[in-house]
Formats: sequence, structure tokens, C-alpha cells
Amino acid sequence: MSRLLVVFISLLIGSISVHADSHINIGDRAQELKDEGKSKDIHPDLREIRIMHPEFLQHKRDETLRQGVRTKRNSLKACVNCHSAADTNDEYVPIDQHGQFCSTCHQKVGTSVDCFSCHRTTPKEDL
Amino acid sequence: MSKNLNRRDFIKTTTATTAGVATIASGITLTTFVNANESPVTDEKRWGMLIDTNKLTEADIDEMVNACQEEQGWGGETHSTGDQKPRWIKKLKVQDKTTKKITSLPLMCQHCEKPPCVDVCPTNASMKREDGIVLVDRHLCIGCRYCMMACPYDARSFAHETITDQKEHMPRGKGTVEACTMCVHRVDKGESPACAEAVDSDAVIFGDLYDANSKINQTLKKIQSSQIRADLNLNTGVRYSGI
Repeated sequence: MSRLLVVFISLLIGSISVHADSHINIGDRAQELKDEGKSKDIHPDLREIRIMHPEFLQHKRDETLRQGVRTKRNSLKACVNCHSAADTNDEYVPIDQHGQFCSTCHQKVGTSVDCFSCHRTTPKEDL
Repeated sequence: MSKNLNRRDFIKTTTATTAGVATIASGITLTTFVNANESPVTDEKRWGMLIDTNKLTEADIDEMVNACQEEQGWGGETHSTGDQKPRWIKKLKVQDKTTKKITSLPLMCQHCEKPPCVDVCPTNASMKREDGIVLVDRHLCIGCRYCMMACPYDARSFAHETITDQKEHMPRGKGTVEACTMCVHRVDKGESPACAEAVDSDAVIFGDLYDANSKINQTLKKIQSSQIRADLNLNTGVRYSGI
């Protein structure tokens, strides 16, 4: 009986740590904002942005490219600026690489991120 | 101070206040500051460029090409060879058959009013904005290169290799067609295209062709100018003088 309990508890701890790991790397700037408690200003509803971000981005891309509407809301540049993380050499790691913000979920659900076959994967030079 | 306001007094006060506010408000013209970037571009403008080849030296044209490469981030391709290399803007030399006079001119997308590239595009990727700027929507481009065939100016290029470290404002990717965007990201901010800025003299004038007060409109009214392949009736946005 006690053996079963140990197995159960270890499984429980394991699942918690896996769950925590999957959201560790949210990017340098995003982490700062989260620590300052400002993340709700940007994403009031986390569930919404998690589910709807493809739609938001697609809507925004057509508005920007075809109609010249250049607002920061739902701009891919803004996503990359906040959610990129720097490595130990203080250089930004491309956001679509393994373990980075975008790829963490996308690899898990098995969907490719096509954005970055054309778009820049790191914040711009002077950030 | 009596807090007991009877019905009649209340109506009197309210009416007086409302009338007062209405009188003041009628004198104020409400000015709305609409950020140009928040509303879609309209066909009230048509962006264009006037290039005076007499004032342009060959060095100036090289400067223009360099400025374009620097701004848009093309030209660093290592695996493309010869015709595969992207050329959003290029220096062209034309010679008069009789006098043998050689003229150099910069040639890029002419931003036609009736662009053949838009006509032939099977996916609607090749498109013209309301303000006359012709672009490739690379989200939709399948890389068929019909537009490159259709363009009389050979203005478009095809990205033959994987590109990394793109400019933030200019996504570029393998397998799609690309061309001069008239620096649309700068124009939307109220700036001029990089190539026009690169030339010190007024050899390249950028502006709104429709606006009677713009320098380009006024200059075009004064001087002799031409469109390249005007016989095709494409009504280009880029005009030349001196050729």
C-alpha cells in the first residue's frame, strides 16, 4: 500500500514539474513585465490570447499589409520583442528555436510555425 | 443650504445648464486627431516618384541601390548566382541608337496604376494598395513567378535561398517573390523612401501625385517627363525626366 502511495506521489510531483517547465521560458521582457505585475495590461485574458493568437495575427497582417494600419496591438514584432530570451552571451535566441517561447507549445501540439520562414526571429538590433 | 430641490426648480436649473453648455459647445469645432496609421490608406493619395536622370550621376544611382539594400536587407545572398540574385532596384544604361548618348537611370517597380503583375497573380498575393503602392503579400505568394514574367520592367525578384536576420520591417523568405515596396514602412510613418533620401540633390522627388501643393505634382506640371513603356498605358507612379 505504501509503495503504491510513493508511486502516486512521485507521479504527481513529476506532472507538476513538467507542467511548470513548459511555461518557464516566456521571454526576457515578458518575464520582467510579469514580475512587475503588468502582464494583465497586455494580455487581459491569457486563455483568449492562447487560443485566439493565430486569428489575431492573421487579421492584423491583412490590415497592415493591405491597408497600411500599423498599430502595435497584435503586431508580431511586439510579440517577438517581449517573448524573446537572450542566451548566456547576451544574444537573443531565435524565438522559433527549441525551448523558446513559440516552439514550446507548437512542438507539443505538433503544429509548425510558418511566421518565421520570412519574419525576423529576434528583436531588432537596437533593442 | 437647502437640499430640498423641488421639481420646478430642478427643471429650471437643468434647462439653464443644458442651454449654457450647448451655447459654449456650438462655438467649438471638434478636432479629431486621427493617427494616419490607425485608419486604412485611401485613394485620395497616390504616391509617386520623379527621377531626373540629367541631375543623377552614376555614383548617385549606386548610392540609391546601396540605400535600398541597407534599408530592406537584400543583396547579401550567398547561394544565388547571376540572375537569381535579387535586384529590387538596379542601375540601367540606355543608349540612343543615333547619337550614341548613354543615359544611366535607376529602375525599380514602377508602381503602375494598372499593374500587370496584379492581373496575372493566381492567389491575389500581388496587390496594389489604395494609395497606389504595389506590393507582394508573401503570406499568399506561392512562388509561381507569373508576376515576374508579366512585369515589363523586370522589377521583381525571387528569393532562391533561406534568408535569416531579416530587417524587422521587411520580412523576406525563400520561395516568394519580392520587389521595391516604395519603402511602404517609411511612407506610412510620413518619411520618404530610402533611395530618395540617399540623393542629396532634388534629382529624386517623392510625394503625392494627386496633391496640387506637393513638389512632385508642381514639378510634373512644369517640366517634360515620361513614363517608361508609356505605350503600355500602365500609368506608372514612377516618372522620369531627361530620357
